[in-house]
Amino acid sequence: MVLSAIILTPLAALFLTLLIPARNDKAIKAVSALAGAVTVALAAYVWFKFDPYSTARYQLVERVEWVPTFGISYYLGVDGIGVLMTMLNAIVFLTGALSMWRLELRVKEYFAFMLTLVIGVFGVFVSLDLFFFFFFYEVAVLPMYPLIAVWGSTRKEYAAMKLTLYLMAGSALLFPALLSIYYKSGLNTFDMVALSGHKFSEAYQIFVYPFIYIGFGVLAGMFPVHGWSPTGHVAAPTAVSMLHAGVLMKLGAFGILRVAMPLLPAGAAYWNGPFAALATCNIVYGALVALKQDDFKFVIGFSSVSHMGIVLLGINMLTIDGMGGAVFQMFAHGVMTALFFSAVGFIYDQAHTRDIHEFGGLSKHVPIASAFFIIAGLCGMGVPGFASFWAELLVFIAAVKTMPLFGVLAVVGLIISALFMLRVLKHAFFGPANPKWQGLRDVTAWDALPRAILIAVLILFGFIPRLALALIASSVRALAGGI
Amino acid sequence: MTLSHFLLVALALFALGLYSVLTRRHLIGLLIGVELMLNAASINFLAFDRFVVKDPATGQIIVLFIIGLAAAEAAIALSIILSAYRAHRSADVDDLDELKN
Amino acid sequence: MSSGTLALLCTHAPLVGCFGALVVLRRAPRAAAALNILAMLASLGAALAIFAGSNHQPPTIISLWLSSEGVPISFGFLLDGTNQLMGIIVALIALCIQVYSLGYMKGDPGYARYFGLHGLFAWAMLSFVYSANLLQAFVFWELVGLASFLLIGFWFEKPSAAAAAKKAFVMTRIGDVGMFIGLILLLSSTSTLDIAQLMQASTLASIPDARLTLIALLLFCGVVGKSAQFPLHTWLPDAMEGPTPVSALLHSATMVAAGVFLYARFHPLFVAAEGVSNIVLVIAIITAILAATIAMVQRDMKRVLAYSSISQLAFMLLGLGAGSLYAGVFHLTTHAFFKALLFLCAGAYIHQIGSNDMVTMGRQGAAKLRLVSAGLVIGAAALAGLPPLAGFFSKESILAALHGAHANAFVYGAYLASFLTAYYTFRMVFLVLRPSDKSVLPAEEHEPHPHGDVTGSMKLPIAILTVGAAAAGFAGDFIAKLIGAKALHPTYGEMAPAIGIALAGVIVAFFEFGRKDAAQQGFITRVGALDTLFERKYYLDEIYDKVAGGLVSLIASVSAVVERGVLDGTGDLAGNLTIATGDATARMQSGRLQLYIGSAVLLIVVFCYFVGGY
Repeated sequence: MVLSAIILTPLAALFLTLLIPARNDKAIKAVSALAGAVTVALAAYVWFKFDPYSTARYQLVERVEWVPTFGISYYLGVDGIGVLMTMLNAIVFLTGALSMWRLELRVKEYFAFMLTLVIGVFGVFVSLDLFFFFFFYEVAVLPMYPLIAVWGSTRKEYAAMKLTLYLMAGSALLFPALLSIYYKSGLNTFDMVALSGHKFSEAYQIFVYPFIYIGFGVLAGMFPVHGWSPTGHVAAPTAVSMLHAGVLMKLGAFGILRVAMPLLPAGAAYWNGPFAALATCNIVYGALVALKQDDFKFVIGFSSVSHMGIVLLGINMLTIDGMGGAVFQMFAHGVMTALFFSAVGFIYDQAHTRDIHEFGGLSKHVPIASAFFIIAGLCGMGVPGFASFWAELLVFIAAVKTMPLFGVLAVVGLIISALFMLRVLKHAFFGPANPKWQGLRDVTAWDALPRAILIAVLILFGFIPRLALALIASSVRALAGGI
Repeated sequence: MTLSHFLLVALALFALGLYSVLTRRHLIGLLIGVELMLNAASINFLAFDRFVVKDPATGQIIVLFIIGLAAAEAAIALSIILSAYRAHRSADVDDLDELKN
Repeated sequence: MSSGTLALLCTHAPLVGCFGALVVLRRAPRAAAALNILAMLASLGAALAIFAGSNHQPPTIISLWLSSEGVPISFGFLLDGTNQLMGIIVALIALCIQVYSLGYMKGDPGYARYFGLHGLFAWAMLSFVYSANLLQAFVFWELVGLASFLLIGFWFEKPSAAAAAKKAFVMTRIGDVGMFIGLILLLSSTSTLDIAQLMQASTLASIPDARLTLIALLLFCGVVGKSAQFPLHTWLPDAMEGPTPVSALLHSATMVAAGVFLYARFHPLFVAAEGVSNIVLVIAIITAILAATIAMVQRDMKRVLAYSSISQLAFMLLGLGAGSLYAGVFHLTTHAFFKALLFLCAGAYIHQIGSNDMVTMGRQGAAKLRLVSAGLVIGAAALAGLPPLAGFFSKESILAALHGAHANAFVYGAYLASFLTAYYTFRMVFLVLRPSDKSVLPAEEHEPHPHGDVTGSMKLPIAILTVGAAAAGFAGDFIAKLIGAKALHPTYGEMAPAIGIALAGVIVAFFEFGRKDAAQQGFITRVGALDTLFERKYYLDEIYDKVAGGLVSLIASVSAVVERGVLDGTGDLAGNLTIATGDATARMQSGRLQLYIGSAVLLIVVFCYFVGGY
């Protein structure tokens, strides 16, 4: 029942939020934060309850028949990947709620939409029924429009519309493809476990696979349909950027791992070359574009494109190392970008600008707030000691072994990542202190809490990567073994 | 008197009704046109009933329905026209184009 | 305690210091400093205790770090002689420098941060040294780079410091990328990264020749970046933007030494790889001469020492490349002492006088600091390779190794480099200690740190290192035994030319800078073109900036334009087309009721016509 509880916690928080009068905004924020803490606890419970050495691939399973005529059932369960992603979402949800403590505009509506988003994301990570998977997927995607269009900044209507159109286009590719799988299997069930047992003809798999991969790929920020993501990151308010880059983009990659690959293994094996090439483009191109951005959030947005390229590259290696690294990178990158946006949000809320050239020597005025960003930046450069190092390491090892050309190009991308990250650090945080920002307030202990949690997670997994890798090992092995 | 005589009358009535629906500017004119078309349909039903169908009841029942429907329609349409007139101080169809674009 | 526990203590004690200083004791700088020095003492004690144990042990595995299919990586310590030696040197020098910093950094607002970063650095470097496998070594190698980035940029408000830190990170990262690919190739060829296992002849023999050469070259890329060899050397002189004790730390036993140490660790691999040693020798000889010529014309004392570091690192690689592990490691050891000493002396002058410029130092009475000046002379003599000081023995063994089997060009190149070394070293000594009023004072630029008298805590490390620089040369046989390599004992006949050359360098320097009424003009100033070329560092900075920097910037600009114009443009176009279509169709909704009815009727008629067939 714990998986249902994870979905129900934010749902309960949502109802509670709707019942609280709008003027009582402290209570609304507290409800969200509390729900976040509860989901973290539940996710931790799932983590310990999950036995990575068990032969059962999906554990903590719950199943209730819902519409037997169409074979739709309320069917929840997690493998190691799901556990890790659930934990990621819980962490980002909690820290995101804490990062929005200073929000004043339409607090009630904001948290209501944010909770809806969170419910959708949790649902995707634990659903084993294709119908519910897609349902929760859409639930997660839809609240992005109001969240950006109302609480955003910098061309927010444009960004919100662009994001919605791109994601809907992705869904438009997905929906017919998923239905076609349902009909083609002839099993009259949306049960993904049963569907993955069915052997589709190879020609059919090769035909359908790209629809599903690209459909999910849009959400994962896949080159060349990544355009919505930097624009969306920039426009979104802090916690939405955190959830958006931290978790929502992972939904795309998760969809590929959960739906596309187990159901259509032959398709995956056929298409992995071209998609790996596109992923390499993600890495190198994203980093190059980031090198020319002046807005903090655009730099991070394009760095996300680059880092999601590492995830996609790892997935397409189809080896245990590559996919394991990709899953770990999904987690590490989620926490890292959450930290990035949380740190930038703190500075932006006070300075009301994000142009790196307008800053300078911020480390002098707000040393701790700067330290948060610098740590995220180091993590983004792939410095060891942080979780993302190991993830990238595994992906690169797999890539250089399997597809040396893409592997080497991706590794060279590390130099460019270092360049753009250091450029931001140099312009904004080092150099002569700009007296204009004399009055900036540094973080209080309460402000520091969410950021400190994120850093602690990054360092914990940076020093003991085995924690995560042992968790996902058997799931990834099963996944890679199926192809 | 054959079937075609009745049908011709009905056709003429229907054409007149359609014409007034398409060309009248006043809403009442439109309503009258619609009534004419309904009556044309009724004549057709009765004619077919008389010459083609064995059981005469069917057509008559439908015509009764049409008459009832026309009465209800006239009542509703007139009240809509009235409130439209109140709102716009006009019952001219060309002025009532709020749904355009 | 078991040696594993000792190694854990030795490597991780500084981390405790780092955490304490950066997080807990931010507002108590003196306590932070004390904590870090205590931690460093513990490290040194542990390093010595490890040394006191056996020096031929199998690697101690602490735990499995990472296990994915092809990557079983354990976290452990390799405690053989080479690592024991290096560990002690690192801990000792780091401790000396921290004690020195107590006085040097006094009054700096970032006092606690400074010591915290020192702790970070020491942790990374010691862990690197004791690493049992290459991946673990790579992790800490990167962390060493990170710590130096933070230390070089310590005075981050100075734009030049921020730029120098960035440059150091990027240049070493370029080398690291090569090394990283080499590491992956090595892993996929042997499916192990355990250093002790890798260095067994049977493991190396199992790798195909061409692959082995490729791996060796890629690993060497990392060495080139870290140890600042041509063509990636340009970051090191800029790294002088950090506080002087940091330079001492980076240049003596740590950061840059890490590259050479890695080469020494993988010596069997580099020897087995065909053709690599010649490439190494060529790069080393180019670097040695290039850096020495630039050092000849610098006026900033720290820059002279920086270029001398580059040149001396090249010497170590010459020894290693010539096939003598002993010569390279020996020179690494002696260099650690005298280079740290020289930097600390430079720091003492800078602290007292407030200028980096050697002429200014001389004018302001640098010679009055007696202990420091004695240290400077001894360190300089050791660097120049004058008997019987440390540098003499190690340099002789390098030359002896070169004599062995290699082309004469390398030997003559090395002679030229040692002549230049002796010359620029004593040029520095004479400029500082025997000032003349003939030379021109420069425009002032100095470190943004509070100046003051040289304190006792600064003098003590200088004294210790002076002893080390004087005595380390006699440890040759001991080191050879410790690392299990054959010591080289050149004959007097072989030593004579080198001694003569070093003396010649000193004499030329004395004639031009040291004697009474010397013009204090180097001979190179007579050749204006060369003088400018050296002064401008062969224009390499400019070339890199224009060519590589320009190229990357160009590609990035093109990408940004593609993003804005093509990709975003396509998306926007699709959106705008949809909107335009919507607008066009909306026009059909005229709101004219009769038009709707008319078209409906028309459509019905048309429909009936086609369906009904009339």
